[in-house]
Amino acid sequence: MKRVSRFFGRLRAFIVRDFQLALSYRIQFLFRTLEILFFVTTLFFVSKIFTGGVVTSYTQWTNPLAAWITGLAVLNYFMTGFSSFANAIRQEQAQGTLEGVLMTPVSIPTFIVSSSAYDFAQATIYSSLYLLFGWLFFDVRFQGNFLLAFLFLIITTLVLASVGILSASFAVVFKRGDPFGILLATTSTLFSGVFFPTQLLNEYGGRILGGISRFLPPTYGLDGIRRVLIQGQGFNEVRAPLFTLVLFLVVLMPFSFWVFSRAVRRAKREGSLIQY
Amino acid sequence: MPPLYHDHSDDTSAPPPPSIAISIRQLSKTYPVPLARLKKFFRRRATAPVEALRGVSFDVREREIFGLIGRNGAGKTTLTKIIATLVQPTSGAVVVSGFDSVRDEVAVRAQLGLATAEERSFYWRLTIEQNLTFFARLYGLNDASARARIAELLERLELEPLARRRFGELSTGNKQRVAIARAMLSSPSVLLLDEPTRSLDPLAAAGTRALINSLARGSDKSVTVLLTSHNLAEIEELCARVAVISRGQIRALDTPERLRAVHKNAERVRLIARGISQEVARAALSQALPGFALSEAGHGVVVQFTRAVDDDTLDRALRALQSAGGRIHACDSERATLLDVLEKYEREPEEGEEQ
Repeated sequence: MKRVSRFFGRLRAFIVRDFQLALSYRIQFLFRTLEILFFVTTLFFVSKIFTGGVVTSYTQWTNPLAAWITGLAVLNYFMTGFSSFANAIRQEQAQGTLEGVLMTPVSIPTFIVSSSAYDFAQATIYSSLYLLFGWLFFDVRFQGNFLLAFLFLIITTLVLASVGILSASFAVVFKRGDPFGILLATTSTLFSGVFFPTQLLNEYGGRILGGISRFLPPTYGLDGIRRVLIQGQGFNEVRAPLFTLVLFLVVLMPFSFWVFSRAVRRAKREGSLIQY
Repeated sequence: MPPLYHDHSDDTSAPPPPSIAISIRQLSKTYPVPLARLKKFFRRRATAPVEALRGVSFDVREREIFGLIGRNGAGKTTLTKIIATLVQPTSGAVVVSGFDSVRDEVAVRAQLGLATAEERSFYWRLTIEQNLTFFARLYGLNDASARARIAELLERLELEPLARRRFGELSTGNKQRVAIARAMLSSPSVLLLDEPTRSLDPLAAAGTRALINSLARGSDKSVTVLLTSHNLAEIEELCARVAVISRGQIRALDTPERLRAVHKNAERVRLIARGISQEVARAALSQALPGFALSEAGHGVVVQFTRAVDDDTLDRALRALQSAGGRIHACDSERATLLDVLEKYEREPEEGEEQ
């Protein structure tokens, strides 16, 4: 019990620190909010080009604006999941504050989880803004079980967080040039169905190109969330993508923790833990 | 590996041995070549592994200010970082207040405070108070205790008026004080201070030295201090014992006086006494000193003699002159400094090394 309360105390310390740092750059929040508003507005006008011309077999895409803003909101969250851990390490290394933090009796996993907590809080706000602006200004209506959609969001984020821990391991040892980040960031937008249905990859790119999306966890996360929020499907209909995500999680989570502990041990041996 | 030195600092008297705050046993550290196998595979020439520490063993006693001196690259920082659990040793052990630095690293960090001259280890856009509150929470202090401890430290370190100033706006001296305040947040039993007065002006440096002294000799809870510095006068002023580290090995460990004495056991003393004639001074000193030179200067005399650093010749000379009616106007001595000691060990060849 004492350990849990100590963990939450430290988690709060990191969130307060990052909030105070963000407050010292006040204008940033305003610009990011405006950016999301302008982007959603742009997508609204682009969606008007397709009015009446959307192929009905892509059921999630009958309203392209709803599909896009759901995709972007969720992708924003996923990206935070997989990039924030490595960013936390890199940022502290670059600022020179890592030594100060690691001199306190905080374990490295606690440090990594806590230092990315504010990123998640921020991502929740920004992702909600996509959905809020769509609902408020452009009449986008969501239906279905929001709790089920949230479950998809959490599991997919945890899967991506596992990839994020692999990415952080890379940052601990090699400091820069993280291949997991580059691979996932560049492939997710193209292959996970953020801007268009993944079926199109099969139709135009053949089986190999279409097959790539099956290996990417965000594909299942996005598909599940759209099925719930746009098509209004229930648990029985979304079992397949949900179980696939759980499978990803069961394999990736322990593997990433194992790799991370090896990376920290190696950096301590090389004396490079706090170097940039 | 037998030690290169003998620790004489315990030889003096009979009090029971004090408790040990830091125990270092046969500590060695060789930094491996990063990605050595990959470099070999691509036939890239890899640099040799760097041997930073070799068979280092010593103890730091509780409430002691212990100095570590050596040139750049001698191994001081590696040793400090191993004690601080930031670097893992290749072999050997470090035990801090009973906790092993590898097996119980979180427990060790709870006993330690580290203050370095590295200004970048703080958040420059946060105030002193915000920085200290963040670190206090990481040390596990609750809100009330954090507030009380921070207020106490700000007052003690004379930082109260600057509490709401951003860290980046502080002078170098004040940044250094904040670093010491952070190291003291959890009331640690051991403080590691790595060049705490680097880049400080003489007044600020003197203030920091007084502070270190007061921390180690505090009336409430005293701390053990391991001080590394290039400022040898500072080490001499503050430290009860000093270890000389050279090329990764401890070459000598003793009190500053004994280190100097081992290096050069004699010193030249020059006394100026007023209100006494040359004849009276000669008569008084002939019984007290085996040999001396005497000359007249102004309204008094100048006496010069050589003595062993730990004998009582100086006492006898002073008493003789004062009993004969003289007033001591000045007393200088020329003795070996820690710099001489350091230079001596740097010149000495290593074991197995040809001269």
